[in-house]
Amino acid sequence: MSVERDIDAELRFHFEARMEELVAQGLSREDARRQALSEFGDVDDTRAALREIDSRVARRRNRAELLDAFVHDVVYSARALRRTPAVSLAIVLTLALGLGANASMFSLLDTIYLRPPAGVVAPGEIRRVWSEQRFRTGMQFWSGFDYSAYSAIVRSLDGRARVTMYHAGTRRLGRGEGAPVVHVVGAPSSYFGVLGVKPLRGRLYTADEDGLMQAAPVAVISESFWQEHFGGDPAALGRQLDFAQGKVTIIGVAAPGFRGIDLDAADVWMPTLTALAVPPTRRTPWWQDSGINGFQVVLRPARNAREGELAQRVTQALRQSSAGDFRIDSTAVAEFGGINIARGPGKVSNEMQVASRLAGVAIIVLLIACANVVNLLLARAVSRRREIAVRLALGVSRSRLIRLLVTESVLLALLALVAAIAAARWGGGLLRNLLMPKIEWADAPLDWRVLAFALFVALSAGLLAGLVPALQASSPDLTNSLRAGTRDDAPYRSRLRNFLVMSQAALSVVLLVGAVLFVQSLRNVKEHDFGYAVRQLAFATVDFDSRDSVRDAAFPSRMRALESRVAAIPGVDRVSLMQFHPKGGFATTDYFPDADTTAHKKPIGFLTGVTPSFFETTGTKLLRGRTFPTDASLGGPFTTIVNKAMADALWPNQDPIGRCVRFGKPDAPCATVIGVAQTALMLSIDEPPTPRLYVSVDNPPAKIYTGRELVVRGDARRLPAAMKSVREILRAEFPGSIPRISTMSQTMEPEYRPWDLGAKLFTLFGVLALVVASIGVFSTVSYAVSRRMHEFGVRIALGARGTDVVQLVVSEGLKTVVAGVVAGVLLALAAGKLVASLLYGIKPSDPASMAIVAATLIAIAMAAALIPAWKAARSDPVSALRAD
Amino acid sequence: MSAKELDLLQGTLDVLVLRALSWQPMHGYAVARFIRQGSGQTFKVLDGALYTALHRMEERGWVDAEWGASDKKKRAKFYRLTTAGRRALRSETQSWNDYVAAVGRVMTATPESV
Repeated sequence: MSVERDIDAELRFHFEARMEELVAQGLSREDARRQALSEFGDVDDTRAALREIDSRVARRRNRAELLDAFVHDVVYSARALRRTPAVSLAIVLTLALGLGANASMFSLLDTIYLRPPAGVVAPGEIRRVWSEQRFRTGMQFWSGFDYSAYSAIVRSLDGRARVTMYHAGTRRLGRGEGAPVVHVVGAPSSYFGVLGVKPLRGRLYTADEDGLMQAAPVAVISESFWQEHFGGDPAALGRQLDFAQGKVTIIGVAAPGFRGIDLDAADVWMPTLTALAVPPTRRTPWWQDSGINGFQVVLRPARNAREGELAQRVTQALRQSSAGDFRIDSTAVAEFGGINIARGPGKVSNEMQVASRLAGVAIIVLLIACANVVNLLLARAVSRRREIAVRLALGVSRSRLIRLLVTESVLLALLALVAAIAAARWGGGLLRNLLMPKIEWADAPLDWRVLAFALFVALSAGLLAGLVPALQASSPDLTNSLRAGTRDDAPYRSRLRNFLVMSQAALSVVLLVGAVLFVQSLRNVKEHDFGYAVRQLAFATVDFDSRDSVRDAAFPSRMRALESRVAAIPGVDRVSLMQFHPKGGFATTDYFPDADTTAHKKPIGFLTGVTPSFFETTGTKLLRGRTFPTDASLGGPFTTIVNKAMADALWPNQDPIGRCVRFGKPDAPCATVIGVAQTALMLSIDEPPTPRLYVSVDNPPAKIYTGRELVVRGDARRLPAAMKSVREILRAEFPGSIPRISTMSQTMEPEYRPWDLGAKLFTLFGVLALVVASIGVFSTVSYAVSRRMHEFGVRIALGARGTDVVQLVVSEGLKTVVAGVVAGVLLALAAGKLVASLLYGIKPSDPASMAIVAATLIAIAMAAALIPAWKAARSDPVSALRAD
Repeated sequence: MSAKELDLLQGTLDVLVLRALSWQPMHGYAVARFIRQGSGQTFKVLDGALYTALHRMEERGWVDAEWGASDKKKRAKFYRLTTAGRRALRSETQSWNDYVAAVGRVMTATPESV
């Protein structure tokens, strides 16, 4: 080590000089040596001390030198990039695309899965309670509970955790159609304590104000609601919010940033009873009604509590308290989850499943972008090899040169990062709206986590994309190029470039196959017969701000009377009345069929009340029998229509027509089965076939919620205008009401969303990948052509025709692409099982899809290779030869 | 070890070395000879401590070191005072003078005047 050498040299000089002086004064050499040593003290100790000091100095000096070199590299790189602006721009844009796609995806997944809600103290400690509950589709973890389950949970934990609950919903602020919708959370006062929320202004409500029998009409508003509606005026405290359900007085503003703990940002908090006022018509209040089961239960365990033990207690409590309950049974298990509801343990929605696949897609786009950047950098490194060779010859170390070239690519990546952040700002918002259009997002798509992620990815991409060409360009045999002239292109280097083009083609194939599969799925799902003529249907009903028992009692018959008036509107083909919007809810009934129900379980009695024209209006096919009689009136013989799933469950291999179903009690009058309808959509596309019973609203054999919803069928193009007239009719008929009109297409849109999303984004990314890959083919072929202009000139001079040259160039370019396409198809087959569960009516190995993609990619690659090939064919033999 | 914690000898040695280098750049041996002769052999400084002081001052940025040739054309490490070193010399000299004066006052004081 040079530090030690220097110390030894310095001390040796000292002793030599001192001894020389002493000898000159007349001492013997031996005495002189002894005296010098005794004057010095302990030599070894001193040497050790000096070594320690000097290595510290050396380290510090090295760091300073590195920094100097780094600054020099950056300045030099920036200059080099400015010299070739077109290539630099291409690289920056390509990388920005890949980075932007990733940052956008990360931003979305981060908000949903990782980022805890703002304004909560130590959000990592908060646990959500989930429990297995029975659904139509089977047992599933669910985070909603009824009030008695919540009480049981609180009792079971007995101080081992602070427990609270909340219920989130929306309300109109003010009256009429234009009234703004606000997000309201009903929660006991413990909600704020458990989450650690403090008031910014005023106060939060207390336990005295949130009783079950009586609650104060008070509300706490969010800081942004305060700013938006009151301009941040302190006088907002004490003012009233006028909801149709009752007025509430604002007593406080929550600390800035806190918007509840769901994805939907909450505006107003109020005591549970104030939010869920008991309707006078309802006999059971919500805290005794097991049907009101949307309360989210959250808790903060005490310091010494063990989570497993707490969950076990909750499991016990739920099993006991829900004895006899339909939803939670004696085997149900409770589990705790994190504060971000999407992290489960509940079922992951299809949208989210698609989103996680799309994160993979974004990474593929980045890989393609990196491959392309490597390619462009390689091309440039090769064109700069004279300069590089000179530097190597002048004694610049290889590691220094690699550092220089990598600095350049990292600099490019950082430039791309700036563009990517702008893209992610836009793209993150776009993705949110595509994926979950109804959510009122609490915070911006970009935050420091997204930025940190983007920076990390940009640096990695820059290093990766820079290192490969740097290692290549600085390889020692490159110095030969100084001697060998410039025309030869070492074959291994073109092998690397071909490999890059090949992998780009392969990855593009994977994305495009994904795009085609999702587009096909979307088309399949839209064309699937769910029992509704989706494009021709619209629904209309009205909401009232307040209750009016006289009006409400007359409502069904008045709606029934509107049927004929609506039917007369031009563009309307048929009208019917049904109980609920097809996806708006369902009613169940107890029923007793004349069937052997001992062999298998009797299905749940989903009941739908309709008018006779229902089936021909909606397009739900009657497979057997007929619809309800139009002249039916109260007191006549009861009839019912079952769907195929119900018929198959009750009377397998028997004729259901003429059978008997008794509603409510085993000894109720018989309702004769007069028809079998196709099994239509109940609530969601991915549900299993759901058995159900239809009855006539004119003469219902069971207690049913009467028809509220007008179903209108008409020509898809004329429907919007017709529905405007329907709105006018409803306004005139029910003054002061809020008409609610929707088309079936709008209703189905969330159902199609997973496929729609997959189709849109796979296509977007796939096309981007295709563009990037064809740029890759173009630049590789162009580069090869420019290297071989001399050869082409000679060939043409020797009598080759232009078409021969074109053929030669294109076929060489295509060889690589075809190899890539083959690899891509194999990759797509392997990756198929990742998306198989998300496709609809198509297999991931669909040969037609593969063929379409392969043909498209090869055609585009051919077009990209043709341009440089024509240039080659036109090469002038004279100037080619003269150039030497 | 911060400057304030240096013991008396260390502080004294530093000021002597700085003083030596304030005349001209010199190698370690020349500094040792300067101190030995300047003190008229009144006190002994171990040469090892002297080199430690020099290197520490280099770390602190008071002196720059450079290899050069001695009078006898031998390779030697030369130390030169930096601007920071000159500033240090001024303040060290000041505190040394204050110290000497203080000791002097104590030594000449009588119990009555305390």
